[in-house]
Amino acid sequence: MALKTQKLTEQLELFGCIQCGKCTGGCPVARKTTLNMRTLIYHMLVDADMDVDAHQELWDCTACFTCVERCPKDVEPAELIISLRGELVESGRVPETLGTALMGIFRQGNPSGMARQDRELWAEGMEESLERAKGLASHAGSAQEECELLYFVGCIPSYDQRIQPVARALLRTFERAGLDPGTLGTRESCCGNEVRRMGEAGLFGMLVEENGELLRGVGARQLVTTSPHCFNTFRKEYGLDGMEVLHYTQLLARLIEQGELTFPEPSEARPGEHRTVTYHDPCFLGKQNQIYDEPRAILEAIPGLKLVEMDRRRERSLCCEGGGGRMWVEGTNLQERLAFQRVQEAAETGADTLAVACPFCLLTLEDAVKVQGLDEELCVMDIMELVDIALEEDLDP
Amino acid sequence: MQRLSLTLMGDTMMEQKPRIGVYVCHCGVNIAAVVDVERVARAAAELPGVVVARDNTYMCSDPGQALIKQDIREHGLNRVVVASCSPRMHERTFRAVAQQEGVNPYQVEMANIREQCSWVHRDKGRATEKAGLLISSAVAKATRLEPLEQREVDVTPGVVIIGGGVAGMTVALDVANTGLPAYLVERQKSLGGRVAELNRTFPSLQPVSELLPPLIARVQDHPNVTVFLRSCVSQVEGYIGNFEVEISGYGETGTPVGGDPGSKSDAPRAGLSVGAIIVATGYDVFDPDRTPELGYRDYPNVITSLEMEERLIRGDLTVDGRSPERVAFVKCVGSRDARVGNSHCSRVCCMYTAKQSRLVREMLPEADVTVFYIDVRAFGKGGEEFYDEARSQGVRYRRGNVSEIYRKRSAPGVDGGLAPHAGAGPVVLVAEDTLLGQPIEFEADLVVLAVGMEPRKDAGVIQQLLKLPRSADGFFLEAHPKLRPVDTAMDGIFLAGCCQGPKDIADTVTQAKAAASSALIPLIRGSVPVESASAVVNEELCAGCAMCVDVCPYDAPTIANLWRTSRINPVLCKGCGACAVTCPSSAIRLQHFTAAQVLAQVDALVQ
Amino acid sequence: MSDQACEAKPAAQLAAASPEPRFEPKIVAFLCNWCTYTGADLAGTSRIQYPPNVRIIRLMCSGSVDPTYVLKPLLDGADGVLIGGCHPGDCHYQSGNYKARRRTIALKEILRSAGIDETRVWLRWISASEGQRFADTVTEMTEFLREKGPNPMRTEWAV
Ligand SMILES: Cc1cc2nc3c(=O)[nH]c(=O)nc-3n(C[C@H](O)[C@H](O)[C@H](O)COP(=O)(O)OP(=O)(O)OC[C@H]3O[C@@H](n4cnc5c(N)ncnc54)[C@H](O)[C@@H]3O)c2cc1C
Ligand code: SF4
Ligand code: SF4
Ligand code: SF4
Ligand code: SF4
Ligand code: SF4
Ligand code: FES
Repeated sequence: MALKTQKLTEQLELFGCIQCGKCTGGCPVARKTTLNMRTLIYHMLVDADMDVDAHQELWDCTACFTCVERCPKDVEPAELIISLRGELVESGRVPETLGTALMGIFRQGNPSGMARQDRELWAEGMEESLERAKGLASHAGSAQEECELLYFVGCIPSYDQRIQPVARALLRTFERAGLDPGTLGTRESCCGNEVRRMGEAGLFGMLVEENGELLRGVGARQLVTTSPHCFNTFRKEYGLDGMEVLHYTQLLARLIEQGELTFPEPSEARPGEHRTVTYHDPCFLGKQNQIYDEPRAILEAIPGLKLVEMDRRRERSLCCEGGGGRMWVEGTNLQERLAFQRVQEAAETGADTLAVACPFCLLTLEDAVKVQGLDEELCVMDIMELVDIALEEDLDP
Repeated sequence: MQRLSLTLMGDTMMEQKPRIGVYVCHCGVNIAAVVDVERVARAAAELPGVVVARDNTYMCSDPGQALIKQDIREHGLNRVVVASCSPRMHERTFRAVAQQEGVNPYQVEMANIREQCSWVHRDKGRATEKAGLLISSAVAKATRLEPLEQREVDVTPGVVIIGGGVAGMTVALDVANTGLPAYLVERQKSLGGRVAELNRTFPSLQPVSELLPPLIARVQDHPNVTVFLRSCVSQVEGYIGNFEVEISGYGETGTPVGGDPGSKSDAPRAGLSVGAIIVATGYDVFDPDRTPELGYRDYPNVITSLEMEERLIRGDLTVDGRSPERVAFVKCVGSRDARVGNSHCSRVCCMYTAKQSRLVREMLPEADVTVFYIDVRAFGKGGEEFYDEARSQGVRYRRGNVSEIYRKRSAPGVDGGLAPHAGAGPVVLVAEDTLLGQPIEFEADLVVLAVGMEPRKDAGVIQQLLKLPRSADGFFLEAHPKLRPVDTAMDGIFLAGCCQGPKDIADTVTQAKAAASSALIPLIRGSVPVESASAVVNEELCAGCAMCVDVCPYDAPTIANLWRTSRINPVLCKGCGACAVTCPSSAIRLQHFTAAQVLAQVDALVQ
Repeated sequence: MSDQACEAKPAAQLAAASPEPRFEPKIVAFLCNWCTYTGADLAGTSRIQYPPNVRIIRLMCSGSVDPTYVLKPLLDGADGVLIGGCHPGDCHYQSGNYKARRRTIALKEILRSAGIDETRVWLRWISASEGQRFADTVTEMTEFLREKGPNPMRTEWAV
């Protein structure tokens, strides 16, 4: 199908592009596939039509937004990808796996298509806490009870067995800090961050409406998320006026700074100390939301933990390739995964633990560690888990 | 409402019956394409007091001016209304026309139907309607305009120049050579500015050591130049022709010292009376900490171009004791980059990069020298030839805006330690070679970031002190980009060098010379016209309350006469109008902007 | 607040679509010569479009705006008055804009007690380089007054 370029070029203000190549230069994917943001824009500028189908590499973009961050002319190259994907989505020409994920979200509110009523299974063993949390918020809208802090769990933390412990650790930690969070229970649906980035604007709109109504109905002052992806879209695309949207690392760093959360001094009884940790900045937390310091502040507050840095960190963090819906689409070059490179870089620091603050990064990097045979040297953990271990002694009666 | 009618009464004592000519300008098509000029001219003819109303293609042209003159003679006009561009453009022109025919120049009024009408509205009907209103407002005011006397005051010869770089020194010499005193105020401990930090200069490759010291010596030895080092301007009062400038010591902290007893400074404190001020405060270089993707903070072998100049002066390009094999230059760092708030091109970095890359080729003939660029801007005399020379000497130009710089830990020469910042070792430039259409990773031992020019971080201090506007890029704003490039909105204050925008040395000197000659015009003439639109007190109404004395920023009103009423010194009064609004007895009239005139304009506009 | 804005919008759009001529407020602007008037000129040289509802009177300084200059147009039926001066610290006459600010606050008190809607009077600092800001201010004020409706003084006097 040939797309008329003029309208989209104007709408996305692509005429501002000076073809400098900073977008493609920094694009982690361009180095391994045929995706070239700059030439894509050039075609939009000089050709009257574009054969979008011929650009299968569109599915390779991880929506890391490095290109958007770096463009000197405030062009937003990744938005072109999202729009072009939209063209393909609209006419149903999408990779099968993506179709399944979108269908899952449409039917059950999550990309794996698991049953909606199972959304709370993550809290197994913490039913009491959850009951309370639910009691607060699952009656949202009926204005029954006030809930100051709302915890948005997210799809992967809700359903994925590897990530569920992260959500549990989060809930436990909040309780230790004396917070009383509520959740949306089984009424929570996918935030839609990846849905929008995969080009499914219609479904995204629906999710914004549904979730937005629920969230506003609770009337919480603060909304905290496990995942930087949910955080990103709530913060920028939901228009949740009057509600402070936080990633959990921000909230934790704040609690630590204010002395509301203190770690017990290390003792022999507790595992987890004397770790050497390196931290991988997730794109959706770092590059896209400039949250670099809080995760580090948390790690540095953990007694006995030593933080070492990778060379590519903060603004230069290398994308793990798990975002933007790439969880659901294989892309065109399966051999060289950025995550492989990333875990090698982590191992080179001499760290024994690679800390992350994102469910996607955790899954992608942990997988890469296995494939690269680094399991002996390096374990991948969410900051939340490290905090939980460091606090564990507290729980013992 | 009593005071209103009183004010009106004072104003209606008009001597001559108004005979007004209205001239509606087409400005080519600039106005006529949107405003129906013939219609508004016809409507203007019907307004009370209007004797003739015409439209014409270009009122400011010779035939346009001749038309006004002829009408003044034939119709005995005593007031002229020109509906055209902003009065800021041509009020002077039309005042002169009126004066030549014996009409008082203050009996000319303009209606701004270009900048504030035809250029900002597309709806022809509504623009025409608005133009008509603006003209009737101007006619209403013109009807009540009074002749004012044009006064001249003597000027104080002498010029204060702020900033002792190439720009400031050039101005100082030109002023001093006319025989007038030049006061050069530099806050550092020596003259020279940024050029003192350079090695050789494009396009001649002349060493700075041949160029700068002789210039500094000429300035310092000139009998008419007084140099104040480690000093700054701390206060400015007065107006074109007669400024009072206070010079204070400049402390290490960047704040003026001297008045404050806690600060130490050996710099003199002086009060100077001069006729003009020239701002030549130069620029700052961009700090690449604001482009963290380029790793400037992390890698000692990623340096700025200014640091490169210093290395070239020392003749030392080694990295970790070794001679670099691959040297890369990255252009447009902190320029042409909306993210860091600098949309402008810095104009010199293309050329100085050609210069530095050539010098590296000369010093290290074995080394590979590669320049990463977006565009090569080699304008200016000898510019393109200089760029040709760089390439012919083997400098490689690769098109691509470097996106990121990082270092491979596994690269040889990198210590395997845990701190990534330690040691040197090659870095990797990540970019797209846009001509190949391929992402590349380019290893280099030394990287030079061609940092751009920015306004001085403390330009705001000068801005406030002298009331100078700045343009969107943060540099000081010239009065007109083409016609008045060294003037400012403030009469008697001029701009020279990079404080107005990025420039190389040649352009800096050119502009400095222009600023010097513009500043010298009134000084050599010996007098300047002063504001005629001053405030006057009706002593019969004045109650002697002295509120005007308190409110006036220029100490123009005094209560000194026998009757203890106020009198305003017309030379000191700047015509701000604060006293007129404040006076509880409505005894003060701000000439040329009287309440009667303004309210008549309101009437015309709110019909 | 945002809710109100949301409700008001469709109404405004409807008005625009209907054949009835929409209400065009009259705004009288007193601009200081050095900053805002020059800023308005810059909007012109940059060809930045804004509604023709504003009619400008040039004064030397915002500090010379007499209360009667503001009162008279409002009593005569103008829908709004805009006073434009230099940013704090930038007044050509040192402090005229501070004087204008103090006077405007007092004037608004008077307007309120006289039953005139004081939100029809806007005081804004717009510099010589802020052409866009000038245009935006005029657009914003026109929209604001359009939603507010005609100055009741118009009709009261007319009767
Ligand atoms: C890396 C680099 C290489 C360059 N190479 C070349 C080249 O080869 N050829 C070329 O033509 N140009 C070159 N340039 C450009 C050149 O530096 C400028 O054209 C020149 O410095 C402009 O002079 P200036 O007097 O306007 O400003 P500056 O050199 O910045 O001088 C301004 C002076 O004012 C003083 N000052 C500032 N504020 C105050 C204040 N408030 N009170 C008192 N004093 C104050 C400063 O201390 C300074 O001495 C290069 C620039 C860079 C960055
Ligand atoms: S970085 Fe921006 S300006 Fe440069 S090529 Fe990409 S989109 Fe165009
Ligand atoms: S968002 Fe990331 S992966 Fe996608 S084009 Fe931009 S830089 Fe490449
Ligand atoms: S002069 Fe050259 S390097 Fe400098 S900003 Fe302009 S184009 Fe870039
Ligand atoms: S404020 Fe008016 S009444 Fe008072 S002294 Fe001045 S002129 Fe006279
Ligand atoms: S018009 Fe201004 S400067 Fe003149 S006397 Fe009155 S207050 Fe002073
Ligand atoms: S001169 Fe602009 S407010 Fe005084």
